Amino acid sequence: MRSLSELFDRYTPLMYPVALRILRSRADAEDAVQDAWLQVWRRSASYDPRRGTVVAWLLTVVRTRALDRYRSVASRNRAESRVDPEPVTAPEDPTQEAAHVQLSARVRAAMAALAPQQRQVLEIAYFHGLSQSEIAKQLNAPLGTVKSWTRQGLMRLRELLPQEEWV
Amino acid sequence: MSEHRQEYIDLCAAWALGSLDAADRRTLDQHLAEGCAECAAAMEEFSAATVMVAASAAGALPRPALKDRVLAAAQAAGTGDGSGAWLKAVPGARPAGAAPAPPRAGRGDAPGLRPRPAWTTWLPVAAAAALAVTSGVLWIRARQLGESLASSRKQVAQLEQRMSEEEKWSAVLRATGARVSLLEPTTEGDARLRARATYDPATRRAVVVFENLYKPNDRDYQLWVIKDGVPASLGLIRADEDGRATLRLENVGDSIALSAFAVSLEPKGGSPNPAAPTGPVVMLGKLST
Repeated sequence: MRSLSELFDRYTPLMYPVALRILRSRADAEDAVQDAWLQVWRRSASYDPRRGTVVAWLLTVVRTRALDRYRSVASRNRAESRVDPEPVTAPEDPTQEAAHVQLSARVRAAMAALAPQQRQVLEIAYFHGLSQSEIAKQLNAPLGTVKSWTRQGLMRLRELLPQEEWV
Repeated sequence: MSEHRQEYIDLCAAWALGSLDAADRRTLDQHLAEGCAECAAAMEEFSAATVMVAASAAGALPRPALKDRVLAAAQAAGTGDGSGAWLKAVPGARPAGAAPAPPRAGRGDAPGLRPRPAWTTWLPVAAAAALAVTSGVLWIRARQLGESLASSRKQVAQLEQRMSEEEKWSAVLRATGARVSLLEPTTEGDARLRARATYDPATRRAVVVFENLYKPNDRDYQLWVIKDGVPASLGLIRADEDGRATLRLENVGDSIALSAFAVSLEPKGGSPNPAAPTGPVVMLGKLST
């Protein structure tokens, strides 16, 4: 339990915003994060290090839980009736705020530096949970082009975030 | 094993982003099951890149009560399936049951838990991300180097081909049995015209080098070889602005039949009669024996 507490502190600042972005509701996002941590706690054996880092796995779990929740009609109705996420209270620890605000600022700057189509497909795919063919239909673009934008966007993102940006 | 194709990389990117269509997933699974190191590396890197996409949403924090809820629910759920499998992969994480540090009041942590300054909780994430980014950058550089290497190899192959070509024609000039013809201007030709033809009987190739071949407007110079006393066209001569030209000719003819080279000044496009010059012969040179 002790390790779960530490890991909660460490990774929730990355997980919760993903759920909030998808669900646009603090209550729903918190529920999704709770579902995700319980799933991780109960079924940690489902983690396969060959398929990515722990961070990537935790984010996959919380994203899936949030998208499942979004796809349930009630949540979707709630989410769609909101224009913006509810205001977020300032964190009590200014050093923590500085750390993750800096992190998100750098990543956002990198996202902003992508070609608009690349950024759009990455965001639609990740936060709206659409498949490549669904994105192609939504953007009225050829499927092959959507696939290229996805690959190029992810590769460019890695190029734009060199190591020193994170340390 | 199915051959690795570039489109698999696209599928790896969509997979990492959780955006792969079902049909593509089957295709990719099948390909990966057969073992593809390039795709495995790509998936790892795209997966790390996807963490960056997720991190672009960062900034909001949940209410502090969420942690208590999660810990209480986890306690109620028991220890799950062991909870240790993935902890080994977490940078800096201690195994469950490690000696607790003295508690610090006022941070809302569960009793008995050591509160950590926020930056210490973030640094391992940043470090993990840094490692992921580093390997990603290396992967991208490796790909770029690979492409650059492929391009260089192509250039080398082209250069080798050109060198081989140069060597072929250079051999004509160095051939021991080569016959030479120094072409001189006739009375109808510009006195500055110079040309030298080298013919290799062994290969039947010839190299003809021209100087001061300034082309009059609307006329063309045409090269001929005299074969069994009869002229045979070797084509038009295209000189550069400085009046220089080099012709490399394959299969000029059998050595016994060849006696001389000649140049005529013809209407644009060459002699209307393919079998003989129609314009004045401006250069002529007998072939050495």
